[in-house]
Amino acid sequence: MKRDTDRESPLVITDLKKAFRTGFFKTRKINAVQGLSFSLEKGEIFGLLGPNGAGKTTTLKMVTGLIFPDAGSVSVFGKPASTVSSRRKMGFLPENPWFYDYLTAREFLTMAAGIFSIDRKVAKERIETLLNQLGIAHAADLPMRKYSKGMLQRAGLAQALINDPDLVIMDEPLSGLDPIGRRELREIILALKKRGKTVLFSSHILSDVEEICDRVAIVARGKVREIGTIDSLLNMGISGAELEVKGDEEAILTLAGELGLSTTRSMTGYRVGLPSNTRIQEILGRFMEAGIQILELKRHRHSLESIFVERSEKAQEEA
Amino acid sequence: MGPLLAIASNTYREAIRNKVLYSIVLFALLIILVGNFLADISLHNDKRVLFDVGIGLLSTFGLILSVFTGTSLIYKEIDRKTIYLILTKPVGRAQFLFGKMLGLVGSVYLVLALMFVLLVAQSAIMGSGFHPNLFKAVLLIFFEVIIIISITTLFSSFSTPFITGMLTFGIIVIGRLLPDLKQIIIVKYQADSMRELADRLLQVFPQLYLFVPNGHDFNGQYVSITAEFVTWGYIGWTALYAIMYSAIILLIAAMVFRRRDLT
Ligand SMILES: Nc1ncnc2c1ncn2[C@@H]1O[C@H](COP(=O)(O)OP(=O)(O)OP(=O)(O)O)[C@@H](O)[C@H]1O
Ligand SMILES: [Mg+2]
Repeated sequence: MKRDTDRESPLVITDLKKAFRTGFFKTRKINAVQGLSFSLEKGEIFGLLGPNGAGKTTTLKMVTGLIFPDAGSVSVFGKPASTVSSRRKMGFLPENPWFYDYLTAREFLTMAAGIFSIDRKVAKERIETLLNQLGIAHAADLPMRKYSKGMLQRAGLAQALINDPDLVIMDEPLSGLDPIGRRELREIILALKKRGKTVLFSSHILSDVEEICDRVAIVARGKVREIGTIDSLLNMGISGAELEVKGDEEAILTLAGELGLSTTRSMTGYRVGLPSNTRIQEILGRFMEAGIQILELKRHRHSLESIFVERSEKAQEEA
Repeated sequence: MGPLLAIASNTYREAIRNKVLYSIVLFALLIILVGNFLADISLHNDKRVLFDVGIGLLSTFGLILSVFTGTSLIYKEIDRKTIYLILTKPVGRAQFLFGKMLGLVGSVYLVLALMFVLLVAQSAIMGSGFHPNLFKAVLLIFFEVIIIISITTLFSSFSTPFITGMLTFGIIVIGRLLPDLKQIIIVKYQADSMRELADRLLQVFPQLYLFVPNGHDFNGQYVSITAEFVTWGYIGWTALYAIMYSAIILLIAAMVFRRRDLT
């Protein structure tokens, strides 16, 4: 059994489709997810990026068995998402989690542990650890209707980790958290990775994604539009570079003109735009030969944000 | 602790802490006190009236509590999205429904037991003593509660509390008046085929009148707590009936709920 799950990918999503019917006569059809595929590798942190309404939550609901796909398949450690046992090694934090008004966090976590049939003593210890780790120990015996948004988010994460899951799935885990909370969450996610866990989360907050994700998928209009490591996405079609130089003004301008490069004045000297990667060596050589001081060479990179916006808009146009 | 017990005990806990429940309970206790007091003074300490009124109230409040708390049992889980935290864990949907139902039955039982204790205490104070038939009567009320809560579990898994409430209320009325309805049918439909059809239709409804025999002619015999009451054999049969009926309802609920999108 154990070896089986070691080999199995934590999550394989194949050509997933889901449409919602709305309106009084269920006539309006919304294609929330339309042929979405990706899979996770063991031990990676994977970010699902996409604009509002892209289908991220819908996808995660199909992965966790809350809703059923119209077509395609989801398998969690080799088991179909429709099976109860597929949720054994999974932890899920829903978008803006809601709890029972009259239960305390400790009671809720005890129930969560009960659902996993975790041994009482083990559960008790784990609950204490999680409450402390997530900074809600002081409110552990308070009814959860008295919790703030951030506290609910933390309690939500605690319940997602109650079974020490191998696959942690989080829908917008950073929403509702203050900067300190976000940093703490990033650390928790990285610590999970260090322990060999696989993490999948959706987000809008690109800087956080950029910082901790091994790979990301950009989802728009229910499809994966771009997928890869952060680096591969960012380096995709580097638009060029920029050279900061200092020296004799006329020499700089003539050389730039000769090489067909644009120049702008800067604080310290001139900024020279380099159009492509290929000629950088040659251009650098020419400037050095001319005795011009090179202050800095900067590569222009796509920001994750620009890719995000571009891909989302493109998907919009295609539709 | 397995999933079933975990869900049941938390539903129970959540239910008994609800302020709405408190007010219903308080109201019920008040009515029992006042009602029995009135029965006491108006009928010269007739212990039969005290028991009849008390058990009648217990039975009515059993139904009211079951309907009130049952209508939102599953609906609220979906509406408030608390279900996302439960069904994304290794628990089957049928198991979830059963756990919710058990928890609610438990909390209604607690309240009824409290009322029963109050009734017994009051009758002791008034010198009416205790009648062992009271136990049988309370058991019957307990069985009826199981049926009602299974019905609200079914309805609340796909409709709003209002609709669930209305439907359940309708079923309670029909279920309690079944013998009368059957009588009407016999009079109204002369044709055997029609009569049979109507009879079949009525069989779908729970035979709730079985659980309130006190003070009625029952199977051609007058039964009352203070006189000849139903036998233990009868209690056993009604228990079996209640369990079978609720099991079927729960099975239907599980089938309806099995593939439902929880959005
Ligand atoms: N229950 C539902 N009924 C009808 N339409 C729905 C339902 N749930 C989602 N949708 C629609 O499906 C599309 C995808 O929604 P989804 O919630 O998956 O987006 P998302 O990527 O999670 O967005 P966000 O970033 O805003 O959370 C949207 O157009 C949404 O309106
Ligand atoms: Mg979402």
